[in-house]
Amino acid sequence: MSNQTLDPASDSLPVSIETLQSVLSQMLPADADDGDLYIEHSTAESLALEEGRVKHVSASTHQGMGARVIKGEASGHAFTDRFDTAALMEAGKSARAIAQSNQYRAPVAIHQDRSSPALYQNVNPSEGVDFLKRKTLLEELDALARSLDPRVKQVFANVSSSFSDIHIIRMDGGHLHDARPLVRLNISVVVEQNGMRETGSAGGGGRFSLSRLTEGDEAKRLVREAVRLAILNLDAHEAPAGTFPVVLGPGWPGILLHEAIGHGLEGDFNRKGTSVFSDKMGKQVAARGITVVDDGTINERRGSLTIDDEGTPSNRTVLIEDGMLTGYLMDRQNARLMGMKPTGNGRRESYAHPVLPRMTNTFMLAGKDNPADIVASLDRGIYAANFGGGQVDITSGKFVFTTSEAYYVENGKIQYPVKGATLIGLGHEVLQKVSMIGNDLELDPGVGTCGKGGQSVPVGVGLPTLRIDELIVGGTET
Amino acid sequence: MSLPTEAHSLSYLAAKLIDEARKAGATYVDALAVNDTGDSISVRNGSVESVEREDAQGIGLRAFVETAKGLAFATASSSDVSESGLRKLAEQVVLMAKISEPDPDAMPPVGASHPTIDELKVWNKKHPGGNPGWDIEHARDAALHCEELARNHSSEITNSEGAEASFGHNRVAYASCDGFAAEYGKSSASISVSVIAGSGENMQRDYAWHRARRASDLRDPRLIAEEAASRAISRLNAGGMESGHGTIIFEPRTATSLLGHLVGAVNGRSVLQQRSFLTEALGQQIFPDFVCIEDKPNHPEGLGNRLFDGEGTRCTAHSLIDRGTLTTFLTDRYTAKRLAMPETGSAMRGLTGDIGIGSSNLIWQPGSHSQKAMLKEIGNGLLVTELIGFGVNPVTGDYSRGAGGFLIEDGEIVRPVQGITIAGNLKEMFANIELVGSDLTWFGSTAVPSIAISNMTIAGQ
Repeated sequence: MSNQTLDPASDSLPVSIETLQSVLSQMLPADADDGDLYIEHSTAESLALEEGRVKHVSASTHQGMGARVIKGEASGHAFTDRFDTAALMEAGKSARAIAQSNQYRAPVAIHQDRSSPALYQNVNPSEGVDFLKRKTLLEELDALARSLDPRVKQVFANVSSSFSDIHIIRMDGGHLHDARPLVRLNISVVVEQNGMRETGSAGGGGRFSLSRLTEGDEAKRLVREAVRLAILNLDAHEAPAGTFPVVLGPGWPGILLHEAIGHGLEGDFNRKGTSVFSDKMGKQVAARGITVVDDGTINERRGSLTIDDEGTPSNRTVLIEDGMLTGYLMDRQNARLMGMKPTGNGRRESYAHPVLPRMTNTFMLAGKDNPADIVASLDRGIYAANFGGGQVDITSGKFVFTTSEAYYVENGKIQYPVKGATLIGLGHEVLQKVSMIGNDLELDPGVGTCGKGGQSVPVGVGLPTLRIDELIVGGTET
Repeated sequence: MSLPTEAHSLSYLAAKLIDEARKAGATYVDALAVNDTGDSISVRNGSVESVEREDAQGIGLRAFVETAKGLAFATASSSDVSESGLRKLAEQVVLMAKISEPDPDAMPPVGASHPTIDELKVWNKKHPGGNPGWDIEHARDAALHCEELARNHSSEITNSEGAEASFGHNRVAYASCDGFAAEYGKSSASISVSVIAGSGENMQRDYAWHRARRASDLRDPRLIAEEAASRAISRLNAGGMESGHGTIIFEPRTATSLLGHLVGAVNGRSVLQQRSFLTEALGQQIFPDFVCIEDKPNHPEGLGNRLFDGEGTRCTAHSLIDRGTLTTFLTDRYTAKRLAMPETGSAMRGLTGDIGIGSSNLIWQPGSHSQKAMLKEIGNGLLVTELIGFGVNPVTGDYSRGAGGFLIEDGEIVRPVQGITIAGNLKEMFANIELVGSDLTWFGSTAVPSIAISNMTIAGQ
């Protein structure tokens, strides 16, 4: 972990404190409820291999400032990617557009707010892992994939890293700092057999150094996984169509919670009464024994944040406890309007995007059942070991997620793999149909990206093996 | 002509980037400079909820370096457009290109079939860009008006997610080291509204939106409000349905996704990578003979108009599906060379990363059946008005998505349906198209009518 115990690195601030002080004092109306400046400098690098060659190398730099003024339910937001005083002042003035008051708030001195202990190192994750090392890694992974099975025809490998340095200057003058590393490795293969092609992919990452990927065995494990999935899918039968009991595997299948539960508990939807969970606080929304948390405080996880994008330290929020709905995910504005506390879930993709309440790492706590017993409990059903993406309509509660590794099970025995099928259910019903919870909680390998309001942020999910007694399986066999 | 003093022009930035990259050691280079300006205002329950203002700029550079084994390249982008920022970017991209692996088929930005200066002039006169004809007050009033109409549509509308109006324009300068340089502008205005009908566990949300080049071309807010509200109400009390096989009518709103899957599969890059279920389908009949789909880069209604693509290649109208037959893959210069096919001017260029491939305006030629006549013709089936999820395998064409819509019996809509999935394989779905509607509808840069497809699987109770 970080050995940096000093104050936030003011030296990484690309604008002088005096300038920010003037922007703030020209921006905030006397009656503002909240407001802040968000100064970001981010770099990202990516290397991609295809056809055995690392021929796609790219880098990007984003820097700018977002200015925000909040009054009641209204917010004004402006951003600029120039750091000259005129551009910064102009952004502040634009953010003020929602102000009713002509008066300005009395200026306050900007002072450093000591934030919580960092959950990741304040070091660019590509430091010490030069382009050549990354290129060599991808070439080795390509060779490994091709050596594993002669049916492997195409290998795509991508290693990317980013480092975001952010400063938040709050209305009260508090100055918070976070430096967020993020790395990711993706492997995808195309296999061919008798003219039939299939694909398999695997990925992993987190808020740590790229050296974790170039040095350990994790990268090789991902290659084996991608090849295994592709070959498995070559022999997949059509999935059945209809209502079946479904057993979800541990880890990434936690995307169920993200879609079915998490989005519906975000503060904005509940304040506005547009979520199917809006009136369900304190009520039973899941089977007894189910506890679901959103936890942004886990070291080096992809969805973790030392502080959120409003400067609130991230939290472990219990969303469902023993089946009862106990918590919402809050940014500052929605928390204020609902008379609740911010939970450290105010997030923005960048300085150029508004803050929304978002998830961090969302998972279900382990139960007592043996995973093998759970699969064996299926008379006739689906064991879905892994998934691709999902989506939800928070108003009706409908959610979907699509299998990437699934098996047809009869009499408690796995029969054969089935093709990718979409599963559909209702968020406020699905967890009430859970009858067994595994003792094998796993978090996903660090691949989640959540989209909301056109913004993408990294997230995590997790799940123990889980039996759901009824879910609609969207195959083609009837 | 004198330049504004506070910021360099985009064309200057693009030209300067080329100079800097050459100084840093690039053999070939092309560059982009963009500026996006926009305002958006959202309202909810009759009050302003948020006002956003954007003023973004960016530069992107692609540099090729000569090596013993051929040309290698890299791309880089930045929002720092200072002189030192430009130099840093140029040095960075050349350094990266030297690490990148050479490709004997690499296509440097030299000698593309660029449009002429006269063509550029004519185009820019016809498409001047600039403010689409709104200011923030106009936009606010339009959003308030639209939301009010939607909320007051009937007592069944119980809540609102608000309305949003936005307007903006962007300018793009592109330059390549063979001397081609061009700058153009685009403008757009849009309005959207989303409302909720019902309450508790019987709530349904729906929306409607429209985007146009000029604010004055936007649809009447009354029509947008009416569409959002009546759609939300029509979904109330939706139930499930039994599993089985049947004919599905995709209304234009959901049929656009079928075009999306087609474009993904005919992308020359996906074909090269064998990541498309249409890899071997060129010249084959993949749709019934009454299906024609065209890519038209200059259309009065389409928002995807362009004179040249992301590599400066002149865009021309071409057929994608001619009487059911796949006539071309979409290519940039590299994939055209590798696939030994004509260039279709389909390079899509963002500031960051590699060149992508995409269509300009994609138009599915309408048929003669009204949607009503289509219902009558199929008799029993499902009208799909909503699709959710990502259950499409691009390599195999296997298709399985969450759906909602209306049950059709004896040629009539009988009740709303939700919580089901529809499944099939895109190759078979394309071949099983029974009817193409006359209700051609534009969604930005795609235009599509209702499409009826037989023999799909529906999963429900």
